[in-house]
Amino acid sequence: MIRTIPKEAYGAIKDIVGADNISDDPAILDSYAFEVMSELVRPDHCHFMPRPWAIVLPGSTEEVAAVTRLCNKYGIKVKPISTGWYHWAAPLKDDEPTVQFDLRRMDKIIEIDEKNMYAVVEPYVICAQLQAEVMKRGLNVNIIGAGCSTSIVASACAYFGAGPSSFYMGNNSENLLGQEWVTPAGDVIRTGSLSSNCGWFCSEGPGPSPRGITRGTLGSRGGLGTYTRCAIKLSPWEGPPVMEPTGKAPGYRLPIPEKFRVYTIGAPSWDAYADCFYKIYDNGIGYIFHRQFNLAGADLAAALWLTYIDPTKTLNDVETAVADPEIKRITEESRISFQLILQGSSIENIQLQDKILNAIMRQCGCYKVERFCEPDMAEFTNMYLQRLGHKHCNYMWVGGYMGSWMQPGTPDFVKGYVPIAIDSFAKDQESGKLVQCGGDALMGCGSTIGGGGLCGLEQFVSYDPNDDSSVDACIQHMEDAVTTTARHGIPPGKEYIYLQVGWPEEKVWDALARMPQKFVLNFQRKIKEAFDPNALGDRNYPWLPEGWGEKTTG
Amino acid sequence: MALQDFRADAMRCTRCAYCKWIPFDLIKSARFSRGCPSMEAGKYHSYSAGGRLITALSLMDGRSTVTERVKDSIFKCNLCGQCDVSCKICRYDMEPLEAMRELRATIVSEGHTLPQLDQVIEGLRTQFNMLGQPAKNRGNWAAALQIKNLTKESADYVFHPGCRYSFDGELAHVTRDCVDILQRAGIDFGIFGQNEKCCGGRAYDMGYRANFNSMAKANLSAWKRAGVTTVITPCAECYHTFSRKYTAKAGSEIKVVHMVQFIAQLVREGKLKFTRPQKMTVTYHDPCHLGRQGEPYVAWEGEEKKIFGQAVCYDPPRPRYNGAFGVYEEPREILRAIPGIELREMERIREASWCCGAGGGSREAYPEFSRATADERLEEARSTGAAAIVTACSWCERNFLDSIESSEAKLKVFDIVELVAQAL
Repeated sequence: MIRTIPKEAYGAIKDIVGADNISDDPAILDSYAFEVMSELVRPDHCHFMPRPWAIVLPGSTEEVAAVTRLCNKYGIKVKPISTGWYHWAAPLKDDEPTVQFDLRRMDKIIEIDEKNMYAVVEPYVICAQLQAEVMKRGLNVNIIGAGCSTSIVASACAYFGAGPSSFYMGNNSENLLGQEWVTPAGDVIRTGSLSSNCGWFCSEGPGPSPRGITRGTLGSRGGLGTYTRCAIKLSPWEGPPVMEPTGKAPGYRLPIPEKFRVYTIGAPSWDAYADCFYKIYDNGIGYIFHRQFNLAGADLAAALWLTYIDPTKTLNDVETAVADPEIKRITEESRISFQLILQGSSIENIQLQDKILNAIMRQCGCYKVERFCEPDMAEFTNMYLQRLGHKHCNYMWVGGYMGSWMQPGTPDFVKGYVPIAIDSFAKDQESGKLVQCGGDALMGCGSTIGGGGLCGLEQFVSYDPNDDSSVDACIQHMEDAVTTTARHGIPPGKEYIYLQVGWPEEKVWDALARMPQKFVLNFQRKIKEAFDPNALGDRNYPWLPEGWGEKTTG
Repeated sequence: MALQDFRADAMRCTRCAYCKWIPFDLIKSARFSRGCPSMEAGKYHSYSAGGRLITALSLMDGRSTVTERVKDSIFKCNLCGQCDVSCKICRYDMEPLEAMRELRATIVSEGHTLPQLDQVIEGLRTQFNMLGQPAKNRGNWAAALQIKNLTKESADYVFHPGCRYSFDGELAHVTRDCVDILQRAGIDFGIFGQNEKCCGGRAYDMGYRANFNSMAKANLSAWKRAGVTTVITPCAECYHTFSRKYTAKAGSEIKVVHMVQFIAQLVREGKLKFTRPQKMTVTYHDPCHLGRQGEPYVAWEGEEKKIFGQAVCYDPPRPRYNGAFGVYEEPREILRAIPGIELREMERIREASWCCGAGGGSREAYPEFSRATADERLEEARSTGAAAIVTACSWCERNFLDSIESSEAKLKVFDIVELVAQAL
């Protein structure tokens, strides 16, 4: 069924953004309705989320504000996206008039302040672009785990924004400075020092600091207005001003500068793994710190990545590689492992960090996984983790990936749920309807916050979106994970928020009402009422209707 | 193949949008980070490879129909293949470029065509070329030359200049330079002159499969009659068509050589000596059809199979074409061998090369889009400080020449064969 916004509204929006920048052509709309993981939550495994009723491409904050005010007048919901990935980027309801903002015309790097180490960007500036520019100035930017194709504004203004470099550079929520926000009512709010015309340098003031408002408990994901600019903190970069990769696609390699080290570190047990993490935190070494390659599954990771870096090979060769005795040996050696990149401020400093790391490894019984530390793999690791341009490898096996678990906590907390997560996932793979990569397909940051202390591991569940039985198996895994975590007193993982996208609102509110700190959601209702009086934002900005928490028993 | 054969690709697309950018590892600046001319022009997600996969799914499932906007999103694309390279950085199971070709052919077969392209194809049908020129003039570039006529004689090699090099008066000197080099090399070659027919590659990309088929059939028959074992061409599009489309779609086993490969071999063997320095700073533009779409090709037939439960691979193993093994080194070897030439590389090179804008019917149907794409490339060329842009494809050259004519740019355009001839 084709639904359109009122002609009058369409015409008024067209007058603001121009005829070329608004469309209600069904095929165009479908290109925004189609989203990854839709098939996990939609009826009949449909790959399309609800269609927006029109797509609008605003070119400025003024246009965003003007169209938003117009939508208030006509009661049309607004759903902004920048790069627009994941099913929550699409509208959540079929029968609600919704305009989707595609912010790709707002793609400028406004300013790079080298001295004060921040950059100001519009929503469609992706991490790779900013990184390339700031590296020329001896600086770097934290790239979130979803990879360098993502919007900096999106990660800084809305969600947690953690990535492999967060240990050194901070979570993007920590890195957010001044921001410009168009509220659901169409007001333009500038936060922190920006609101006092003092520039972008501080997110907290002088001036209003709605960071807690805009981010909420899980981030807005397009549910509370549109972020049109932000300033992001940058960090030091001791590498070359321009990355010069070598080699052939897909496994480009990045030579390792003399003040850097790139290692894959193995641990004999999860206890040793956690100990190692604590010691890395306490000793303040490490620039990029991540358990990356295990996304392929510990049973297959060595075979996959050693195949991947050979440009003449295909996935067919992984089947052969897995049976190779040497690959089997490396598989066991790297079964519990993570990647660590060190950056030194000088040759002496990197040598010191090496000594510290060696001492940590000795104390924990950890070791370097030799094959992964050889130049070809080390340079590939360097390329992968510095630019984070291979995150689509999450989908490499068969196009479907859903990340479950990933409960953040201290390393001791995380190691506690790891065996449960592994056993549970291994069981779910028995039917053969998920990629059988072994129960341990856990990947995650060394620390999701600057300086260490908080980490998490998510299971990489690979399923075939083109096969309903495989989709069903993934959904079953998600439901099993919800049940298993509840049984063990572990908070729900990412699978829970993914499933919620497909729930009716009432079911979502019932679930939220059972949260230990539901007062947060009541507070968020107040925020929503103040800033979104006509309820143009969707429930990706979580809140509880008045009294809902009291009606539902826990 | 049919559009349904790409349904799995569409279902497995993750809307990651990698198809809009050059491979991220290769990004050196924000300015030259983008990879998809179509997205820059069209802006909506439908103008990307991923977006077209979704369009295909939407049409197949009856969720939408072919409107003028949909046609625009499908046809306003050079089919340059940058999206294909970027997608395949992480995916072994997706064929976005082939899927887009299939989508185009499908809507053309249903009658959703563009009048500008219909006109071009009519010219192809009646005059056997893509420029709407009288067939009888095709061999005029060779009028003063003594070359075997393969309509009557036989030879090991056929020199196939292609439509643009044959009819474009400004490029005819390149065609003659090629002949000079071939004669210096002493190989046994001939031409078909006015009886030469278009390779059909552009017709294929425009969606007119039947017209491609008839050109392929005619060319293969003519070559067989003349005893030809190898076709040499200076045109990147012809090179791609003969080496890949003819192999895949017409069962051809003929060897295909581009002039840069031939010249590079002569240089390596010391059979071509450069005696006249060419003092110039140049940058080299990798043509899409010689670079990322110019990899050695092996026809494949097989089926999808699954390993490890659900991981997709193929039986027999399907060759992988991701731009890694295109013809990149030979032109650079040649330029480095010419005394006086200083080569400065652009940021987007090799498999990440930004398209010239001439391919896929864009030049004929969307001249503004085609020009804007060329302008972007020329700006990148100028950013290197080079005095000239060198390429190895007639369509790239023509688009650059046209773009420069209408701008204030001071940048020369050279065919690599032209530079070679000047240096001999």
